Amino acid sequence: MVTFFMFLLPAVLSFVIVIIVPFIFGVYYSFTDWNAMTGGADVNFVGFANYAAVFNDPRFLHSFLVTVAFAVINIIVVNVVAFSLALLVTNKLKLVGLYRAAFFMPHLIGGIILGYIWQFIFNSAITQVGSNLGIGFLATSLLGHSQWALLAIVLVVVWQNAGFFMMIYVAAIQSAPAELIEAAQIDGATYLQRVRNIIMPLVAPAFTVAMFLTLVRSFQQFDVNMALTAGGPAGMFMGQAIPTTELLALNIYNTAFTVRQLAQGQARAVVFFVTLALVALIQVYFNKRKELEM
Amino acid sequence: MSKKIFMLLLTLIGALAIFAACGNDQAGDQDVEITLINNKVEIDGALRDFARLYEEMFGVRVNIHSFGGETPYAPSLAALLAGGDEPEIFVFEGMTDFLAAQAGGRVLDMSDQPWVNDTSMEFRYNGRVYGFPVALEGWGLGYNTRILREAGIDPATLTNVNAIRNAFETIDAMRDELGLVSVVSMAAGPGMTWVTGLHGTNAYLSLGLAYEDTRIIDMLNNGQVDEQRLLYFAEYYNLLFQFANPSTMLVGGFDDQIGDFATERTAFIHQGNWIDPVFEEWGVNFEMGYVPHAFLPTNVNGIFVGAPSWYLVNPRSDNHEAALAFLQFMAGSPEGHRYMVVYAGAVPAFYSVPYSPAGPLSRAVTEWSARGAVYAWHQNDMPAGFGMDTLGPIYELMASGAIDAAEFARLFTNAVAALN
Repeated sequence: MVTFFMFLLPAVLSFVIVIIVPFIFGVYYSFTDWNAMTGGADVNFVGFANYAAVFNDPRFLHSFLVTVAFAVINIIVVNVVAFSLALLVTNKLKLVGLYRAAFFMPHLIGGIILGYIWQFIFNSAITQVGSNLGIGFLATSLLGHSQWALLAIVLVVVWQNAGFFMMIYVAAIQSAPAELIEAAQIDGATYLQRVRNIIMPLVAPAFTVAMFLTLVRSFQQFDVNMALTAGGPAGMFMGQAIPTTELLALNIYNTAFTVRQLAQGQARAVVFFVTLALVALIQVYFNKRKELEM
Repeated sequence: MSKKIFMLLLTLIGALAIFAACGNDQAGDQDVEITLINNKVEIDGALRDFARLYEEMFGVRVNIHSFGGETPYAPSLAALLAGGDEPEIFVFEGMTDFLAAQAGGRVLDMSDQPWVNDTSMEFRYNGRVYGFPVALEGWGLGYNTRILREAGIDPATLTNVNAIRNAFETIDAMRDELGLVSVVSMAAGPGMTWVTGLHGTNAYLSLGLAYEDTRIIDMLNNGQVDEQRLLYFAEYYNLLFQFANPSTMLVGGFDDQIGDFATERTAFIHQGNWIDPVFEEWGVNFEMGYVPHAFLPTNVNGIFVGAPSWYLVNPRSDNHEAALAFLQFMAGSPEGHRYMVVYAGAVPAFYSVPYSPAGPLSRAVTEWSARGAVYAWHQNDMPAGFGMDTLGPIYELMASGAIDAAEFARLFTNAVAALN
């Protein structure tokens, strides 16, 4: 018995120290006026003041809406692209290994670097092509227009993540029983019918995992956002000038470290956590119902 | 098997405990050691060399930690302090930072230090000295001497907004002839709000006022604006934006903005002397200088010169006496003077320093400040993040043409009112 707990101890201890304790402190600080610089000397309890301020800030509300929009678009596009690529590379093609590696490659590059590379592509390469070909729409950087800037983030994030989720789908498709697919083929089902009625239900657990991960990652998106648009361009919302592509994580970072209201940032992080936990649980619940028992 | 691993674990824990104990014991026996937290990665090398020299001369070890660039200074410092570290010396950037450090009991009164009589840039609070000026920095509207000469404009006449508008129009009409992409090199995009929201706003806060005059910044911190002054200011910034290259201004970064000026494709630039190292790196050596950001219809004569940051000595640290001696050596010895100007490339904040910096804009700052034609830096006395984070997007909207100067002034006024 003692040995059992001793074995458990390192894992439990690190989990408690790294996750549980900071989480409890975080929630506690969100009810105070803590700002880190005063070193915990005079932390005062302020009740729900931070939370009230969170919901009265147009910038946060906008950030919330943009994050939801980004998450919806991103989840759909990443999974559609990833699943399509997975179908592609599970066919009997030449050089299939090369394709898999190539599609996966962008995932190995860090988000900050990707952001800067794509910033150059959007600001310099595409505008150069646009002005040389006389396409007015492309001659100014897409990052200067708020709707396009959000889609630019989606594009880069899809480019970065599609390969990774492709691998999840590839593994699932390959583990689907070949006899079922062959039987359908012999019965005369077309390729699309096989995908729709055989493969998709069989890989439903992969959809659950991939959609859960894309959902969480969309909400947590920070690095590409920071490097590619830094929240810009500016726009008007509820009578205030605000950065239009500032996703939640970046908004929290800016609140905590640029404006240096750490307790206020903490309150936002708690709101963020509760929202994400709720949405993720709902999503997993509905996806689970679609999975088959073999 | 399990017993073996258990024993192994126990051994490991025991070993760790012994190490930890050793670490504690040793600290007591060592010589005096001080730690300085620096916020400028550019001078990290020069500062380390100086620290090494100091250790050789006096046997006091000076540890240098630099945060900046990819690791933002303020959060890194906050993390350090929250983790229980008490460095002897660290940098603060203005009243907001100072008050936070003071609330934490981390500022030592340095009024009795000899260097105080050798500068006018010390940080004072309620008459007492708490900050050692790291350097002088300055900015105005930087210009390319050759381009202005070819356009027939005497920079000495650019002291009010009408003269500046006329100059912009003249140069704009000669753009092809002079080979320019735009008249002004400006940045207002999302990553560049420190240029507009912070430094730009300082023009509103201090242009044309006496160096000690804090009327406008005090009003701002009380949620009020000077309406007429703000409107003049908004119109001037709109002018800068209208004569700038839109793509550089809206989506470009630091290098794009400096690049347009450094390749002589713009006549003016809105930047300070901290861009000198970039010119050196790129081998740029044309003549340049500063004119005031003269947004008022009446004449002004001065650029913004101040200490961007100060060293404070932390009384909660172990060796703060040694830290005071180190700062005095930096300010009052030939070795310290050489470090500040020759190696770190700074405009010195102390009268007794015999060297002048080599960079073209640093030279311009030195000339203006030698004449006493200077206006204060108040941008770091605004609440943290207000300039960059709240005002920044308003500047960007005007730069993109979405709002005009009057609307800019209205949004600016609302944002300031929300501070109260």
